[in-house]
Amino acid sequence: MAAFIARRLAGMVAVLFAVSVLTFLIFNVIPNSDPAQRMAGKNATPQLVANITEEWGFDESLPQQYLTMMGKILSGDVISYEGRENVDERIVEGIPPTFSLCFGAAAIWMFFGVLFGYLSAVRAGGPLDRALTIVAVAGISLPIFLIGEVLLVYLTYKTEILPSGGYVKLGESPLEWAEHLILPWVTLAIVYVGIYSRVLRSNMLDAMNEDYVRTARAKGLSERRVMSRHVMRNSLVPVVTLFGLDFGALLGGAIVVEAIFSLNGIGEYAYISLINTDLPPIMAITLFGAFFIVLFNTLVDIAYAYLDPRVKLGEAAR
Amino acid sequence: MTEALLSVRDLRVAFATEGGTVRAVDGVSFELAAGEVLAIVGESGSGKSVTAQTILGLTRGPNARIEGSVRLGGTELLGADEEILRAVRGARVAMIFQDPMTSFNPVHRVGAQIVEAIRAHRPEVGRDEARRRAVELLDAVGIPAPERRVDSYPHELSGGMRQRAMIAMALSLEPEVLIADEPTTALDVTVQAQILRLLERLNRERGLATILITHDLGVVAEVADRVLVMHEGEIVERGSLDEVFYSPRDPYTRALLGAVVRLDSAPPLRAAREGEALLEVSDLVKHYPVRGGLLRREVDRVRAVDGVGFELRRGETLGLVGESGSGKSTLCRAVLGLIEPDAGSVRFEGREIAGLSRRAMRPLRRRMQMVFQDPYASLNPRRRVGQIVGEPLRLQGEAGGAERRRQVLELLDRVGLEAGHYDRFPHEFSGGQRQRIGIARALALRPKLIVADEPVSALDVSIRAQILELLGELQEDFGLTYLFVAHDIGVVRHVSDRIAVMHEGRIVEIGPADEVCERPRDAYTEELLAAVPVPDPRLARARRQNVRSG
Repeated sequence: MAAFIARRLAGMVAVLFAVSVLTFLIFNVIPNSDPAQRMAGKNATPQLVANITEEWGFDESLPQQYLTMMGKILSGDVISYEGRENVDERIVEGIPPTFSLCFGAAAIWMFFGVLFGYLSAVRAGGPLDRALTIVAVAGISLPIFLIGEVLLVYLTYKTEILPSGGYVKLGESPLEWAEHLILPWVTLAIVYVGIYSRVLRSNMLDAMNEDYVRTARAKGLSERRVMSRHVMRNSLVPVVTLFGLDFGALLGGAIVVEAIFSLNGIGEYAYISLINTDLPPIMAITLFGAFFIVLFNTLVDIAYAYLDPRVKLGEAAR
Repeated sequence: MTEALLSVRDLRVAFATEGGTVRAVDGVSFELAAGEVLAIVGESGSGKSVTAQTILGLTRGPNARIEGSVRLGGTELLGADEEILRAVRGARVAMIFQDPMTSFNPVHRVGAQIVEAIRAHRPEVGRDEARRRAVELLDAVGIPAPERRVDSYPHELSGGMRQRAMIAMALSLEPEVLIADEPTTALDVTVQAQILRLLERLNRERGLATILITHDLGVVAEVADRVLVMHEGEIVERGSLDEVFYSPRDPYTRALLGAVVRLDSAPPLRAAREGEALLEVSDLVKHYPVRGGLLRREVDRVRAVDGVGFELRRGETLGLVGESGSGKSTLCRAVLGLIEPDAGSVRFEGREIAGLSRRAMRPLRRRMQMVFQDPYASLNPRRRVGQIVGEPLRLQGEAGGAERRRQVLELLDRVGLEAGHYDRFPHEFSGGQRQRIGIARALALRPKLIVADEPVSALDVSIRAQILELLGELQEDFGLTYLFVAHDIGVVRHVSDRIAVMHEGRIVEIGPADEVCERPRDAYTEELLAAVPVPDPRLARARRQNVRSG
C-alpha cells in the first residue's frame, strides 16, 4: 500500500510536468498571443511594448520562461497578464464556490443515478424502466448550457422562485448558500444522472446472469437481498471508477455551469482567462485540475482493491 | 420400497426463444428415495440441468412455460409461491454447481456467504454462532485450517477447496436433498476423486439423498445407486446402476456407453515409430517472476517449466498429461515459439528455434500449427468458415482467389464438413463441427507438427470419439506428428504412442503409452491413474474395496 502510494506520487509529478510543458508550448505557438503587445494596449508605442517585454522576461528563451513561471506558480508569486492580479490567491478564492458546486451536484447525481439505475434494472423491460430510460437519454443528450438557460428562464426570470446566480459564502448564510446553488447543482447533475443510471442498469443486468446470483437464489435468499448484496454490490465497482474520474475532473473547475450562473469559481476563472489568452492563470488552473485528476485516479485504484478483493494494488486486474 | 422423498411427475419445461419454442424437458417423471444417490446422465442440451433447476423454481421467468408436478414430502413446489419456494431452497433442498469459481460471489468472503445462507432461513441464529457453524462445516468437508479459511475470499482457494466450501454451504441447513449439477466437471481428476469420496461419505453418514447431474459415466459408476439417462428432454433409460451399465435397453444408452474412451480398454496396437526426430526439446526452463515492493523487484518466481526435455519423432503422437498448473500450456507455447524460454533449447527439424526473432519464426510457423481446446472461443464469431479456414493461406501468401477457395473446400471435405458450410458463421455449428473447423484451419498450410491443446475436453462424449478418429485418420493421410495435450489420461492413452506425465513444471515420467498406464514408475503417475473414474460399476466397487481395506 505504502509502496503503491509512493509510486503514484512519483507518477503524479511526471504527469504535472508533462501537462504544464504542453500547456506552455501550446500558448507559445498559437498566433496572436504576444502577451506584451496585448498588455500594452491597442495604440502602444514600440518602446512601450519593448519595455513590457523586458520587464516580464518575454525575450528570454522558452525553457527559461517556463522555469520562471513554474517557480512563481509554485511559490505563489505569479501575476496574471490581464488585471495583474495574483493568480494563486484568485484560485484559492475560487475553491469554495467550485467545491460547493461539485460536492452538492455529486451527491445529487450519485443518489438519483444509483436509484434510477437500480429501479430500471429490477424492472427491466417494464413501463418504469422505459420512462427512466427516456429521462436518462434526455439528460445525456441535452447540452448543459441549454438546460441551465431553460431553468434560469422558468425558475428565475419568469417565476422568481430562485436567484439567478452568484455565490454566497456558506459561513454567511447557509440557507442563501443553498438557495443560490440549487440551480447549478441540478444543471450539473442532470447529465451525470443519465450516464450513471444507464451504466448501473447495464452492469446489473449483466450481473443478474452470473452463476453466483443463481447460487444466491438457490440458497433461499429473498429477492431483495439477492439484488442488494449480490447484484448491486458487484455492479457498483465500475460506477465508482467513473465517479472518481468525473469528480476529479470537475474539481478543477466546472467551466460551463460556473459561467452560466456566475459562481466566481475556478471554472469561471478558467473561462475568462481562456478568452483573454491569459497564460499564467491557465497554467495554474491546468496544474490544479491535473492534480485532482491524478489524485482521484489513485483513490479510484485504492477503492477498487477494497471493493473487489481479487484486485491487488499495483497489478493489472485479472 | 421406502416412500419417495421427492417426486417429479410429467415435468415439461419449454422456453420461448427467437427461433421458436424449445422443449428443454419433455415429460420427465422420477422419484428420489431418502438416502439414495440418483444420477441423471446426458449430453449437453439433454435437459438434465433444466430439470434439476426447475425443481427449485430457478428456471422461472417470463419466457418459460413449466407444467407437471414436483412434490417434496407433501408440498407441491411447481406452482408454489416464491415465499414457499424460498423456505425450501437451501434449507430442505440444496444445490451445488459446476464451476465453484463463478458460483461464489467473488467480492464476499466464503464464511460470510455461508453465514448468509444460515441466517436467511434462521434469522434467530446470531452472527457469531452462524460463523462458528460455518467453521464446523468447512472442517466437516475436509478444509484444512477452517478457522482461517472462513475469512478467505473465493479466489484465494483452489478449485477443489472452493467446491468443498460450496458443499459446506449446501450442508449448512442440513437439507434432505442435495442436487449436484456437474459438481466435478471443472476440476482436475485427482481433485474430482476427492470430491466424489466426500459426496459419498456425506450420503453414507448423513443419509443425504443426492441427485447427481453429470455427463461423465465414470463419475456415475463411482457413486450412483440408480441412473436416469436423458436425451432430448426425455428419459430414455432408467434402472439400477448395474442394469443401466450391463444391460442397457435403449440404443442411445448403448451408444453412449460405447463412445466412452476407457483407460482400461486396450487401445489399437500401433507400430513403433523409429523415424528421425522432428522436435527435440532439452533442458527447457521458463520461470515467471512474481514482483513486489516499491521498485517492483522480483520477490519470487513461478517455475512454470523447470528443466523439461523430450524428443518427438516424425509421425509419432506424444501425449502430454498433467493437471492444471503443471506447465503443459507454457511448454506448448515455448515449443511453438510463442514465448521465449529462459534457458534450454527447442530444435525443430534440426534447427534451433528458441530465441528466434518473430521474423525468423514466420516461415517456420506454417510447419507447426495448433488446435485449441474451446471451439467456441477460438473461432472469430464475425467471420465466415471459408475466411477462417483460408486465413492462414492468405497470411502466408500461399494461395489467392479461386485457388484458395478450392483448397479450403477440399479441407472442409477432408474434415467431414460440407461445401455448403463455406459461407456460414461459427455460431451456426455444433461443438464437434466447430472443432472440425479448427482442425481444417490448422491443416491449411500442410504443417508437419500439430500441437493439440485439450482438443476434445470441451466436447460431449459421443462427439469426442469422432474427433479422435478424425485426428487419427488425418495423421495417416498427412504424415502428421502430434503433441497431444490433455488432462484425461484415458483419452491420451487411446491416441498416443508415448506418454509424458507433467507435474509441477517437470516431466516425471515418459515412456510407451501402455507401459506408463499399466506399470507406472512414478508415484504421481500412479495417483493420477487411480483417480480416473472407470465407467464400470463392478470395477469401481472393487477399487473402492481395495482402498478401504488397503
